[in-house]
Amino acid sequence: MPELDRREFLKLVGVGAGAAAAAGCSERVEHLIPYVVQPEVMTPGIAIYYASTCRECPAACGLHVRTREGRPVKLEGNPEHPVSKGSLCARGQVSIGRTYHPDRYTTPMSRGADGKLAPVSWEEAIRTLADKLRQGAAGAALLGGDPGPTASQVLDRWVAAVGASGRVVYEPFAQESLREAVKTLFGVESEPVFDLSQADLVLSFGSDFMETGPSPNEHMRQLAEARDVRAKEHGGARFVYLGPRLSMTASNADEWIPSKPGTEGILALAVLRAAMDSGLTADRTALGGLLDGVDAARAAARTGVDAKTIQRLGAAVARAKSLVALPPTAGLSSRRASATAAAVLLLDHAAGAVARTVLLPAETERTKRPSYHELLALVDAMKSGKVSVLLVHDANPVHSMPPGTGFREALAKVPFLVSFAPIKDETSEQAHLVLPDLTPLESWGDASPRPGVRSLLQPTIRPLYGTRAMVDVLLEAGRSLGDEVAAKLPPGNMRSILETAWAGEDFRKALARGGSFAASLPTHEHVALSSAVAKLEVSEPLLEGEGDYVLLAHPSPLLGDGRSAALPWMQEVPDPVTKVTWNSWVELSHATARRLGVEIGDVLALKTAAGTLEVQAFPRGGIRDDVVAVAVGQGHTVGWYASHEMEGRPGEARGVNVIAALPAAVDEAGGRAWFTTKVQLAKTGRSEPFAVSQTQDNQRDRSIGAALPLAALAAGAAAPAEAVPAAPEHGARGGEESAYQEEIHVPFDPVLDAAQNSPYRWGMTIDVDRCTGCSACVAACYIENNSPIVGEDQVRWGRLMAWLRIERWVGDGVVEDIPGWPRERNHEELGKVDIRHTPMMCQQCGAAPCEPVCPVFATYHNPEGLNGMVYNRCIGTRYCSNNCPYKVRRFNWYDFSLENWPKPLHLMLNPDVTVRAQGVMEKCTYCTQRIEIARQPAKDQKRLIRDGEVITACAQACPTQAITFGNLKDPESNVSKKRQEPVRGYVALQGLNTRPATLYLAKVVRGPVEG
Amino acid sequence: MSSLPVLPVRRVALPAALFLLLFGLVLGLPEGRAVSAQQKSSDAAFEAQRRAADPSAPGPVQPIPFSHALHAGTYQIPCLYCHTGTDRSRMAGVPSVEVCMGCHAQFGGDLEGVKLLKQYWENKKPIEWVQIHRLPEHVKFRHNRHIQAGVACDTCHGPVERLDKLYLVPDTKWVNLMNADKLKMGWCLTCHWQNNVSVDCLTCHY
Repeated sequence: MPELDRREFLKLVGVGAGAAAAAGCSERVEHLIPYVVQPEVMTPGIAIYYASTCRECPAACGLHVRTREGRPVKLEGNPEHPVSKGSLCARGQVSIGRTYHPDRYTTPMSRGADGKLAPVSWEEAIRTLADKLRQGAAGAALLGGDPGPTASQVLDRWVAAVGASGRVVYEPFAQESLREAVKTLFGVESEPVFDLSQADLVLSFGSDFMETGPSPNEHMRQLAEARDVRAKEHGGARFVYLGPRLSMTASNADEWIPSKPGTEGILALAVLRAAMDSGLTADRTALGGLLDGVDAARAAARTGVDAKTIQRLGAAVARAKSLVALPPTAGLSSRRASATAAAVLLLDHAAGAVARTVLLPAETERTKRPSYHELLALVDAMKSGKVSVLLVHDANPVHSMPPGTGFREALAKVPFLVSFAPIKDETSEQAHLVLPDLTPLESWGDASPRPGVRSLLQPTIRPLYGTRAMVDVLLEAGRSLGDEVAAKLPPGNMRSILETAWAGEDFRKALARGGSFAASLPTHEHVALSSAVAKLEVSEPLLEGEGDYVLLAHPSPLLGDGRSAALPWMQEVPDPVTKVTWNSWVELSHATARRLGVEIGDVLALKTAAGTLEVQAFPRGGIRDDVVAVAVGQGHTVGWYASHEMEGRPGEARGVNVIAALPAAVDEAGGRAWFTTKVQLAKTGRSEPFAVSQTQDNQRDRSIGAALPLAALAAGAAAPAEAVPAAPEHGARGGEESAYQEEIHVPFDPVLDAAQNSPYRWGMTIDVDRCTGCSACVAACYIENNSPIVGEDQVRWGRLMAWLRIERWVGDGVVEDIPGWPRERNHEELGKVDIRHTPMMCQQCGAAPCEPVCPVFATYHNPEGLNGMVYNRCIGTRYCSNNCPYKVRRFNWYDFSLENWPKPLHLMLNPDVTVRAQGVMEKCTYCTQRIEIARQPAKDQKRLIRDGEVITACAQACPTQAITFGNLKDPESNVSKKRQEPVRGYVALQGLNTRPATLYLAKVVRGPVEG
Repeated sequence: MSSLPVLPVRRVALPAALFLLLFGLVLGLPEGRAVSAQQKSSDAAFEAQRRAADPSAPGPVQPIPFSHALHAGTYQIPCLYCHTGTDRSRMAGVPSVEVCMGCHAQFGGDLEGVKLLKQYWENKKPIEWVQIHRLPEHVKFRHNRHIQAGVACDTCHGPVERLDKLYLVPDTKWVNLMNADKLKMGWCLTCHWQNNVSVDCLTCHY
């Protein structure tokens, strides 16, 4: 047999492969399936938008739902809606996945004799429910989240009509303490609404208002407005964060004062006292003896904040024209939460903020509110066997109730549990009967986050399965109990009831607009302090258990109370603070880690008063030595993505549920307390690496996330502004000595990187000063561009497919590694805040390093200045990725979209964007599909694309409008105008001379507040 | 059909005239003959239908033996009358069953194809046509841009008005000494080059 040399062998292989390819080329038969009856408004290929409301959290932001051929494909903010004003947070962005979730119940399910849930018909399911109600409606109780005012009223009438024992509204992060504090201070029933937009000093007393609380999106936008360096003098409002942990909210502050957790109330009173000493005129007599004995020195000992700082803050409060002090959000709500909130609101009142920036809405409608007290009473009733039928909707109490309440044991005593969950969860999996509700995108409904805002939900897709609206099912079951019951129930279904509830207004107009919005919030204008103030008992939090540390269980900005954990994007989008994905972690200080001898990823055992958790350690500088923190939301045992079912380990919890280690504690008013326990830490000896998107926060003095002091900005503003943002002399850090000093910085004009005859040069401006790190843009990019989910293992391999990431840098960083410190070390320092959240995506370089190395011309420069990526040309050499200094190119190692997207998730794919296959490189395209869509009417009308007609998905989502996109060749475009900042403008990795189309505007270091 | 750009006036005027003509015939004739006129389709229609169903003719057999030659050729119905939205949307509008029934509720009931059509309509089932003009994957072709630019439908779809049974009428252009078959990239590009329109990759690939 002749020897086969290498060349010959390759030839043969080539022929074989060619033959195989030719054989595989036989055309697949595809069908064109038109409508039977095409809806009049619909033209295939053209999107239709519907206004609706997001139900992912109680903030109730307005939505514009983009639908294609009857399927919602993207959620965007409704610019007319007063809450979100056009933006939409990360959780809202991905809530579209609920409708297409593989965990959805497709039919009613009933628990059979074998103990397993099996599908039944609706007739049978409703008959079963009616039978149970007939046997004893008095033992029936409803438990669930807030379904909106109209549905709430129907539920109340239903409870009365069928003679059920009652209805409890349950919202894990509901802050009843705030309402109680207002009642104590002013004697009115109202939940305060904070308006940060007009503030000049914002004091957050442990309030993570950008992550949780009443309205995160709105507050981010307001704060950005108040701190707009162009519109406001001297850098705008100052923002001070007082709290134990450098949270995402804290990372946006000018000053972080790491106070002892739970002492926010003491601190607020001390600041108030100091403010009065500095000349704040407030009616001291109204306070009674409350401030007697309060002084900076004493407070310093109790709060861990030194007296000088307290006096300085006091002076700042006295000087402030418009103060907003925010009381702690859920994570820091202790058993003294009401008194703490009252103390903070008292500071607001004394500084004249109440009715100006801290509004007390005058509530007229009285729908049932969340009450933890009522919930605990229900649990007691369940324990004593008084509840025979429990109906659960919009809540997952099995996961979100602390074990100390005995909820699980009580549930075991309920003979018949009915769940309305559309997606399976821990509670519904224990149900005897599952009557799957519609998802918000399939539903009629409304929401009223505050008086004057009535927001509507309308279906944007025909129900994907045979599931039915909860209200309709309950009404049908109620009516089948007899005419007497039916007469007491409202006629019609959810749709007609909703229209009746809106009888006073133009329903169709409201539907088009997204609701009806009053011009202003009806508020209590004149409130006086009640005499109860003097009796306010502001003291340390009462902590249970033993240990040297306290446990901070804080809401996660991405997972919420855990309800968003089922959505894979919220698992894969990195946490804004630690950049951990798909897992839980415990944050502890470097000193604590050293003392225990643990490093990042080492598993720690946390022993609290209520239980033990085993969770990987994440040592960082941004947390007090006496505090450890675990985010709420993980630890699900049910769900394809929420548990480890996706990896073939069903029933295994993903991360830990920190609620399982929290004692059942309540505050003075009976509201739920979260900050309640001490904790002991022990090393387990095991270690498991995290799947993180960013392993270090040291930018090594390269200009990626740049900052400059306010003084430099003021000095630069005096100088004449250049027409085109040239490369600033050495980044934006004011000529500081560094290793990069010697590099070439060629001033350039990005407009020149487009073809001369092209009317467009697409460009972007990213204001790092406005970026909060909230990751709404990241989530929006995932949904818009069909980016696949890769899972924890692949993230560990560095194969995250996000086109847009938010890099989190601590200061300018250090060039040399510090001996003895691991490279991955977290460089935060206690009490210092200099975090630069830098959105990083393809910079669309004019001199792109990726282009010349592509052997097949798959990436190239387009006449409009875009760095094009042609998927069908790509052969997957990955040279481009290796040569990209920004590391924004992503490679499809697998057919992720096929493997990790079980049906029917594929239905939400954006038909305007190619789904990339295995072996192909991909990257941010500046949403080129949106440019093409905007080009159509422009070409039809023989004009250019107007400014604002193309908004990229990231820019659309951004609550602070940190991202601006547009045509750089048009000097009047918003993006060009935003660039007219010769001082703040910089390009990432300036020294490489890549001529990016993305210009960053440096963060402004406003510095600590002056005394 | 015609190689001229389809003018908006013709889009409305022709079918309207056609309809009036047929309707006028029906009304103007004695009752007995009107019924028979409604029932009896022309021999040409039967012949066109037979040819559309002919399995030996090129092209796939469709679920309904629909003849483009009869509709677009003999009756001169403009393309956009049935394929609505093609001038506005990226996608070509394949007519819904309702659009077919708009005419065929009135006549053609004796034709086998129309009987099939009525079955679809009664069962409220969509017709699954076999796709003939299929672009390679990864191309975002925009019908509306080409219609707006005055490119005639038959430039890509062939002489549809003369075809009873539709098939991909082959066409080859020579690009750089290589042959480029119809609906392949080189074939598209020759036209784009000739007309001096965008040949930027991102125009079609994204």
